Amino acid sequence: MSNFFTVYHHLFDVFLIGSGYALSQWVVMRAGVFSVATAGLASIGAYCAAILTTKLGWPHPLSILAGTLLGALTGLLLSVPLARLRGVFQAIATLAFVQIVVAIGLFSDSLTGGAIGLNAIPILIGTKENLLALLCTIYVMLAISATRVGRAFEAIRQDEAVASSLGVSVTFHQSLAFGLSGAIAGLFGGLEAFQTFTLFPNTYGFGLIVAALSYVVLGGRRSVAGPIVGTAILLILPEVSRPLADYRNALYGVIMMLVIAFMPRGIVDTGLLYFRRRRLAAKAAMESQQ
Amino acid sequence: MSALVIKSVSKHFGGVAAVSNVNMEVPSGKVTGLIGPNGAGKTTLINLITGVLTVSEGSIHFGAQDITEVPAYKVARAGISRTFQNIRLLAEASVIDNVMIGFYRNEKTTTPASLLGLPSARRETAALRDRANKLLERFGMSKFADQEAGGLAYGHQRRVEMMRALASEPALILLDEPVAGMNDVEAGELGEIFRGLAKDGMGVLLIEHNVRFVTNLCDFVYVLDSGRMIASGSPEQVVNDPAVITAYLGS
Ligand SMILES: Nc1ncnc2c1ncn2[C@@H]1O[C@H](COP(=O)(O)OP(=O)(O)OP(=O)(O)O)[C@@H](O)[C@H]1O
Ligand SMILES: [Mg+2]
Repeated sequence: MSNFFTVYHHLFDVFLIGSGYALSQWVVMRAGVFSVATAGLASIGAYCAAILTTKLGWPHPLSILAGTLLGALTGLLLSVPLARLRGVFQAIATLAFVQIVVAIGLFSDSLTGGAIGLNAIPILIGTKENLLALLCTIYVMLAISATRVGRAFEAIRQDEAVASSLGVSVTFHQSLAFGLSGAIAGLFGGLEAFQTFTLFPNTYGFGLIVAALSYVVLGGRRSVAGPIVGTAILLILPEVSRPLADYRNALYGVIMMLVIAFMPRGIVDTGLLYFRRRRLAAKAAMESQQ
Repeated sequence: MSALVIKSVSKHFGGVAAVSNVNMEVPSGKVTGLIGPNGAGKTTLINLITGVLTVSEGSIHFGAQDITEVPAYKVARAGISRTFQNIRLLAEASVIDNVMIGFYRNEKTTTPASLLGLPSARRETAALRDRANKLLERFGMSKFADQEAGGLAYGHQRRVEMMRALASEPALILLDEPVAGMNDVEAGELGEIFRGLAKDGMGVLLIEHNVRFVTNLCDFVYVLDSGRMIASGSPEQVVNDPAVITAYLGS
């Protein structure tokens, strides 16, 4: 029984961190940017936090804050060259960025420990901190969705020409989205660093890119709940059935194909849309009866 | 008073001159017409004014401001709004959300206030929702408020686009064939609205193929053909101008 608890307790932490990465991915896509930089930004946050504490003895909250800020700064800087690119070209450029971060992690072994890993990171973060960070992140994402910046993001995502014809600066908002994405990825990377003894550069490579993208595509790109539900489903599925875990990547692939083919808006957004349409239809029927 | 002054503006696409040496003024408080056959350069001219395309030669002034090189979002902030020839709505967003983005230009909420969801930011959003509802009422669109804009009938989509442009309370509005595909009754209703806007002091530039609609509505008309301004004057003058008749009927 206690084994059961530890297993699922650990899974809950993985879910909280994964949800953070999913929201980092979500917020750039929300502003119409097809970036996959989240993995690289998370790596920067994780290594920054771990190095500051293990090598310079910084208190871990300060290290995590520094990782968050460095993530935000990197996101902002990244948005400058990317402003000229669109769609798949942004994806390719950010993919290259992630590869570069992995490569730097591997080659600067005096600082990062290289392929052997950055070892002996104290375990200082637990479920409470993860949960608090996720709730704060969700609050900001909901605040954005409910106010001015969210409307600007939504307009840009759907039609940049329309957005700029109404005074919305595409460059400013996409930079802002990148900065937020970097801050969130950096924050959760820093938190993750203090709950895994060792960091490896490849932890933040192609696998995380695919995972973060899958969470959002599966759950939905519009509502804040989308990426969180997507994370929950994709993390829990392999756990409930052990055989599935062995085919985790194949399972992700099949789910993605099914969702893209039959629910291109993702599970949550499709559900919300369904209920909204039903409510409108009911309202219309009521009005026509009167 | 002239809101918009276009001086010797040209635009080349490679070797093709889509607009050549055009002079034009769009005063406040009047409806100015811009007509011309297909491919005359009307939409290109709007794209030049709004900063979507860059001018090859010439200058564009709006009030005291030189907007020749100003990017699109700053032109919009200066107070120029437009509608698109091939309606462009946020298709997935509801009708009311489409209108609300129009208020963006005059919103007071700062970016940090929005990120933190401060009460002031939420209050402004609520106030804008009320104003959007009033606008929907004025255009007889209230019952569509929560519907997805992309699913509306053509004429209703045009109205949504118009409301969005008006929500930004522009000093000048550029309408690219706003009544195309509408019947006479619908077009007439919108025509009344355009008149009202001009009466309230807005500058209105109306692109339209329907010559009768233009002559009924406009105070002054420009005629563009193959990128050149071939005539301008009162509606009566222009429709009787031999060059205009040739452009529309000839070749
Ligand atoms: N981006 C572009 N690249 C190249 N040529 C263009 C471009 N935009 C417009 N043109 C050309 O410029 C000319 C003017 O086109 P424009 O769309 O401005 O005409 P219009 O008067 O709006 O016509 P319509 O009544 O059909 O809308 C056309 O010959 C068109 O092919
Ligand atoms: Mg046109």
